[in-house]
Amino acid sequence: MFKTKLILSDRPLNINIKSDDIKFINLSSLKIANCIGCYGCWTKTPGKCVIRDDAVKIYPDIAKSDKLLYISRIKYGGYDTIMKTMLERAIPVQQAFIRLVAGETHHVQREVAPKNATIIAYGEISDEEKEIFRKLVARNAHNMNFESYQIIFTTELQLEETVASEVEKWEASLS
Amino acid sequence: MGSIIILNGSPRAPKSNSKRYAGIFSDNCKCNTEYFNISKTNHYELCGKLGNFTDMLFVFPLYADGIPVTLLNFLKTLEQNPPENKPVVSILINCGFLEYKQNDVAVSMMKLFCKQNGYRFGSVLKIGSGEAILDTPFKLLVVRKIKKFADSISLSRYCTLQTTMPISPKMFVKASTTYWTNYGKRNGITKEQMETMQIEK
Ligand SMILES: Cc1cc2nc3c(=O)[nH]c(=O)nc-3n(C[C@H](O)[C@H](O)[C@H](O)COP(=O)(O)O)c2cc1C
Repeated sequence: MFKTKLILSDRPLNINIKSDDIKFINLSSLKIANCIGCYGCWTKTPGKCVIRDDAVKIYPDIAKSDKLLYISRIKYGGYDTIMKTMLERAIPVQQAFIRLVAGETHHVQREVAPKNATIIAYGEISDEEKEIFRKLVARNAHNMNFESYQIIFTTELQLEETVASEVEKWEASLS
Repeated sequence: MGSIIILNGSPRAPKSNSKRYAGIFSDNCKCNTEYFNISKTNHYELCGKLGNFTDMLFVFPLYADGIPVTLLNFLKTLEQNPPENKPVVSILINCGFLEYKQNDVAVSMMKLFCKQNGYRFGSVLKIGSGEAILDTPFKLLVVRKIKKFADSISLSRYCTLQTTMPISPKMFVKASTTYWTNYGKRNGITKEQMETMQIEK
C-alpha cells in the first residue's frame, strides 16, 4: 500500500510546506455535506459513499496516510462542525462487520494504514473541555486505526506557529 | 406535572432508531410530550418553542464517538437563541456497538453544553447495540428502561440509566455479522462484496 503524509485543516493556514510528500487539505474550501446515515457505503456500494461530493476525494487520503495531522477548532469538547462533518463522512473506510479490539466491539477496517496521528485542537479551551477531548481522541484511536497519537492544544492566535513547528518536525524526519 | 419537548438529533431522523426510541418514550411517559425532528431549516422554530416546556429530551445516535453534526449545529444555534425559561435537559443516546459506555464522551459533551449555557442537566439513558436491539427479543429490556427513564423525568427524580443486549462481545460479533449480511442481501450485495478492502475503487 502506498502511504502518504496528510494534513487536514478546518481553515486556511499561511504555512510553508517544502516537502512534496506532505499533502495539505483545507476542508473549509471544499463542498462536503453531512452523512445521512444510510449505510450505503457498507451495504450498497461497499467502500464508496453514495453522496458524490468532495468528501469522496478525502477519505481515501485519510486511509492511505500513515502520518496524519488534524487541525480543528473545538466545540463542546469535540471537533467543531467542519472537521466533524468530514470524520462522519469517512466511514466508507470501514466495513459493516465488527471485530473485537482490546475486548471491545469495533468495525473491521478496509485498506487503512496504521497511523501516527497528531491533533492540533485550537480555540479558547477550558480544562474540562480538554479532558473531554482527550477522552474523545482515545476513543477515535480505536475506530480510526491510530497506532499512536498526540494532542496539542493551542489558541487561534498561536495556531499557525504551532502547525509550522509540527510540519518542520515532519520534514526533518523525512529528509 | 411538566411537559417534555423531544428533539431528534439523528441525521436520518424520519427513519431513525432514535425516532423509535422516542415513540416508546412517549407511549410510556405520564406527562405531555411533543416530538420534533431537528432538520437543517427548523433550528429557529424549535428554539422558539423550548420556553413552553419544563423538560427537553434530546434523542440521538453516537456518531464518530461524539454527537452528530446535525445536533452539534442545532446546539450552536440554540446557544445564540436561548429561551427565556430554560427547560431541564435529558438525553437518550444509542450507539451501534455493544458497550453502552462508548456513549460516555458524547454525554460529557452534552453536559458541558448545559454547563456553558445555564441549563440544568436531568436524566441520561445510554443504549448499546442500539442499531439492532429493537428487532430482537431484548426490546423488552429497552422498553422497561425507557419507562423508568420517562418516570425519572416526569417526577423530576433525575438519574442515569443504561441498557444493552445481555450477550458476550463474541456473541455480539456473530449476531451483528448476520444482521449486516442480511442488510446487504436486501440490497443484492453479497457478504464478500461487503468485505472488500478497497476504498473508492
Ligand atoms: C457516520 C456514522 C458514525 C457512527 N459512529 C458510531 C460510533 O462511533 N460508535 C458506535 O457505537 N456507533 C456508531 N454509529 C452507529 C449508530 O450510532 C447506530 O447505527 C445508531 O443506531 C443510529 O441511530 P439512528 O437511527 O437514531 O440515527 C455510527 C453511524 C454512522 C452513520
